[in-house]
Amino acid sequence: MAVVDNTFNDPALRAPLITGRADLASITDTVCEITEQYRPPRSWYVAFIASLSLLGMLGLSIIYLIATGVGVWGNNSPVFWGWPIVNFVFWVGIGHAGTLISAILFLFRQQWRTSINRMAEAMTIFAVTCAGVFPGIHVGRVWLAYWLAPYPNYLGMWPNFRSPLLWDVFAVSTYASVSALFWYLGMIPDLATLRDRATTKIRKLAYGVASLGWTGSARAWHRYERAYLLLAALATPLVLSVHSVVSFDFAVAQVPGWHTTIFPPYFVAGAIFSGFAMVVTLAVPARAYFGLKNLITMRHLENMTKVILATSCMVGYAYGVELFTAWYSQNPNETFLFLGNRPFGPYAPAYWTMVTCNVLIPQLFWFRKCRTTPWMMVIIALLVNVGMWMERFVIMMSLTRDYLPSSWGSFIPTPIDVVMLIGSFGLFFTLFLLFCRYLPMVAMAEVKTVLPHGHQP
Amino acid sequence: MIEHEVQTDQPQVLSGLLAEFTDQQGLLEAAQGVREAGLRRTDCFSPYPVHGMERALGIRNTPLPWLVLFAGFAGCVVALLMQWWTNAVDYPFLISGKPLFSLPANIPVTFELIVLFSAFTAFFAVLALNGLPRFHNPLFQHERFRRASSDRFFILVEASDPQFDAIRLRELFQSHGAVSVEQVMADPTPARIPLAVHLTGVIVLCLAFIPPLWIARDRSTTSDVPRIHPVPDMDFQPKFKPQAETSLFADGRTMRLPVAGTIARGELNDDEHFVRGIVANAFATTFPAQAMPLDQVMMARGRERFNIYCATCHGLAGDGNGITSQRALARADSPNWRPPLSLHSQGVLEMPIGKLFFTITNGVDRQNDGNLSMPAYDVQIPPRDRWAIVLYVLALQRSRNAELNDLPEGARESLALPDIAQ
Amino acid sequence: MLKHDIPQLGDDDNLTLSRIPPRLISGAAAAGGIILLIALLLGWAAKDSFTYFFHAYLVSFSFYLSISLGALFLVTLHHASRAGWSVCVRRVSEIVAANVLLMAILFLPILLVAIFGGKTLYVWTNLAAIEDEHVRHILEGKSAYLNLWFFTLRAVIYFAVWGGLIWFFWKRSLEQDKSGDVTLSLKMEKVSYPALILFALTITFAAFDWIMSLTPVWFSTIFGVYFFSGAVVGGLSTIILVLIALQGRGRLTTAVTPDHYHELGKLLFAFIIFWGYMAFSQYMLIWYANMPEETVWYLPRQRHGWLAVSLILLFGHLLIPFFGLMSRQVKRRKALLGFWAVWMLVVHWLDVQYLVMPHVNETGFPLGPMDICCLAGVGLIFLAGLLFFAGHRPLVPTKDPRLGESLGFENL
Repeated sequence: MAVVDNTFNDPALRAPLITGRADLASITDTVCEITEQYRPPRSWYVAFIASLSLLGMLGLSIIYLIATGVGVWGNNSPVFWGWPIVNFVFWVGIGHAGTLISAILFLFRQQWRTSINRMAEAMTIFAVTCAGVFPGIHVGRVWLAYWLAPYPNYLGMWPNFRSPLLWDVFAVSTYASVSALFWYLGMIPDLATLRDRATTKIRKLAYGVASLGWTGSARAWHRYERAYLLLAALATPLVLSVHSVVSFDFAVAQVPGWHTTIFPPYFVAGAIFSGFAMVVTLAVPARAYFGLKNLITMRHLENMTKVILATSCMVGYAYGVELFTAWYSQNPNETFLFLGNRPFGPYAPAYWTMVTCNVLIPQLFWFRKCRTTPWMMVIIALLVNVGMWMERFVIMMSLTRDYLPSSWGSFIPTPIDVVMLIGSFGLFFTLFLLFCRYLPMVAMAEVKTVLPHGHQP
Repeated sequence: MIEHEVQTDQPQVLSGLLAEFTDQQGLLEAAQGVREAGLRRTDCFSPYPVHGMERALGIRNTPLPWLVLFAGFAGCVVALLMQWWTNAVDYPFLISGKPLFSLPANIPVTFELIVLFSAFTAFFAVLALNGLPRFHNPLFQHERFRRASSDRFFILVEASDPQFDAIRLRELFQSHGAVSVEQVMADPTPARIPLAVHLTGVIVLCLAFIPPLWIARDRSTTSDVPRIHPVPDMDFQPKFKPQAETSLFADGRTMRLPVAGTIARGELNDDEHFVRGIVANAFATTFPAQAMPLDQVMMARGRERFNIYCATCHGLAGDGNGITSQRALARADSPNWRPPLSLHSQGVLEMPIGKLFFTITNGVDRQNDGNLSMPAYDVQIPPRDRWAIVLYVLALQRSRNAELNDLPEGARESLALPDIAQ
Repeated sequence: MLKHDIPQLGDDDNLTLSRIPPRLISGAAAAGGIILLIALLLGWAAKDSFTYFFHAYLVSFSFYLSISLGALFLVTLHHASRAGWSVCVRRVSEIVAANVLLMAILFLPILLVAIFGGKTLYVWTNLAAIEDEHVRHILEGKSAYLNLWFFTLRAVIYFAVWGGLIWFFWKRSLEQDKSGDVTLSLKMEKVSYPALILFALTITFAAFDWIMSLTPVWFSTIFGVYFFSGAVVGGLSTIILVLIALQGRGRLTTAVTPDHYHELGKLLFAFIIFWGYMAFSQYMLIWYANMPEETVWYLPRQRHGWLAVSLILLFGHLLIPFFGLMSRQVKRRKALLGFWAVWMLVVHWLDVQYLVMPHVNETGFPLGPMDICCLAGVGLIFLAGLLFFAGHRPLVPTKDPRLGESLGFENL
């Protein structure tokens, strides 16, 4: 099927969001057939086994960590948080694009979201899962992690609600559960489609139970749309709050380089930035591999690159204002950190990687050629994620330069740190590959609403 | 025009008429037509939400937003009460100088709970309002209805509608371009759940009670079994604890004495005059600068300290007849008791003040046998207080040997001294 | 979502304010000028070397400037996002935004008092007069940025950027009314992207220069975004009110529908929350860290009458309008939406007052005749500017290629 270029810009004409044979049946077929193949192609297995082995590495290193203690990490005094929190913030940030696409773009009536929202929401949940691993094991005695919850106990103690770390517990767990509900609610009609097409007994049972007996009744749709809108309206401030709370972990402290008022919106912009980069990284191969080029068109990819460019500018703005204010404050510690230690100190390579990957390289998206060439956008998106990981690392390294030179220190990751970071990608891709195999990757019911209605047979 | 009847063994009754359309326009028109014909118990089925359907079917607004709003309020109240009660009432503790109930710090959790409560309400309310999950539906018996979730549009009119007329309805559907019309048959007998499902449910329910019962038992009883140590190297750490034995050192103690000559912070007492009452190897005759000024405050302090530390033996007036001494002398079982000196005795009166201070500091060994007859007070009384006591002792002594000149000018006349005048 | 029957634009009478007598414009401007003179006289009578007057003037200037900048942002965003629905309200946004040219003239008193007025307004202009040695030391360190030459240069740059942008959009937009050339839309879209970056930088540093530097030792990285969020609230409220006023006079009766109001109301709702988010982020971080160099800004705002103002802002600028604008019906009814637009303008003005006035009046919330006169005086001049830009031109971009989409816009 020829792929039509729908990236043209004609103010008098809205470009079609779905190309090719865009009718109801073909959308159903295209999406459902991915999960209905009796046996997935060999390359899926290769990718799955590779991810699974990385996941195994993560599992083994976690067992080693629990059996030995958190000393196996490079965390030290004064860098108490080290890589685990860098990974945590990185993964939570990745998740934000999913909610942005599913909720905020929904409120803005950006209909191009329909083709990618399912995949992005799935990515959100898997990324938050990866994120949750790190604070979970950082508590050391993981079997006591439930102490974080406020429950009456024989010690007569309660958690400290004035601590940003507890806010994090609430924010991230709320985010994970609301994202999961939102994702599942959106998937019910599509699960019903899979149920109705199912031929084997297992599929009938599994999709039948999962779709809860959905019939597509007009009354049900009416309430469903209401609920979807409400969940979108709730998820929008939620997604802002989650990364704001993550930023409070740093910004309420007085550490130079952490305590600055722009942190909440700056973290949110950075999160969406990295998340969109991850969506592009996943969507480009997925659409090519699963034959979704008519559903996830070049226009979708181009729009995503534009969001990356816009959020890159926001992140650049935050870097700039931070630098300016560090000088403007005339606070010697701030000035030293921003103008001395970060750009020229021991972690200067990380700093310059961050600036290059987050601010400079995405500017390539000003060129149409870069916005419409898949391999280019994947490379830029990968670099963006490197840069965003580095950003969190650079922020963390503020701890090495406290107010007192006597408490200065340094941080060197151990092999376990590195293995866990790589292993978390294994967890992420394992879940994502399972999702591609068993669940509808594109929100069929939603894509059908943006078809021009004349196209039906 | 295709007609289908679903064939099953079960006794069935007609529950409605289902018509199939190929596009949403046909469905909308049919829905409008059915509504105009006065039928109300109708429903439409489509693979995606069809706009205009609310109007065509006369669907009323759902109370969902109000439920969600209410849940949001509930979340807000619960969160604020929880944070107030746990951190300000039940377990109050101070963190970084913030008030116990500090609203700005409570906003994040409050916000999250508002969203959590609202979102769960939205999700479960939409399922409940839609009657989901519902796994048994007569429509699922229709092979054609499987396309309702893919690319076909259906309208159902229930037989229970008072205006239901199968023949007229069939014509109506056909006039709007229905590609098929089917009778929906329902089994009037209630669906029977297999025994296995019942049994499984009962067993799972029973099993579900075990963990809470177990926990309840363990928390209400005591046990002499040692607790489980999941990570023994954290519970039993290879380290030396204070007051424990070790073979590492010759004296067998884990605690080490400080290096000889070690002085703790702030305890370098190198001012001989202030700390020992000695100036140039002789007892001081003046008060040190640290004890200045010698005023009413200092005197009051000295009197207070004297009455606490000294008066039990030396007596409140310094006559050496304190309550301890009186009791010891009255008892037969304390033959070694050496009565304290009267502070008004000649030897004491002649002492330089440095000697008084030295005595308070180091005690007195009157027999020179290594047993202190008066204990040393350097540990209990800080140096400045000892100087205050010295000052008070001087005042006590002077009170017995005062002269008229000691009184200020104006006060002398007020003393009525008739016997001296004689 | 398109309606099946797209309403038509009205005739010329419905689309233009053709009969504005020039006397009305000059009269409004003159009345504004006279009221400002009265305020100046009151300032002279106050015998505080015009300190209070210039602060009150700065409040009014910043308030009206923020309205124009908010509108300018919406125009730029319209082009950058290829928005369809907002075509019908874009010309009104352009008119409000065009007043930024007028604000350049109204800025002159502030510039003059900064240059010649000693420490009347900006303490940093006269370092020698600062008694506190520590403060002077800090300000000497900042003098590479906070000096009069650079201050003036920056002000010129800000107004050049804003004026240039609105001039560009204004000219292309009117040109399209005549020619209907589609490529003009493309040109405006192309310019809108760098325009957003320029806008973000200029409004940030303008807020730093003109408001944040009133307390020159204090700093907050979010301050520019905070000012921006309030500006958009002000701009949206003004656009809503202008639309209601025009419809009240029988203009744009078919072009602007409840669906457009609904959409504007939703944006207003969103930016009210955004403002709350910014205000909370700034307050929370400073409150929690509790560092004297930062709390110095909040302390006077939590004492005396300013505590009441802070609470009024919390409730009036966030919580009450949040519930007030939540309902769909409120956003679709002109009277109700108009009420909330007026409400938001009042609290937005109070917000600017809260940013500026504690600097000169620490004891309480002042609402003296000088404040009222400045607000009314600058307001009348602003109104004259609106009338000037609105007259004799179509009040919608009549040949915009997306006009049909906007006319048929339905807010589901």
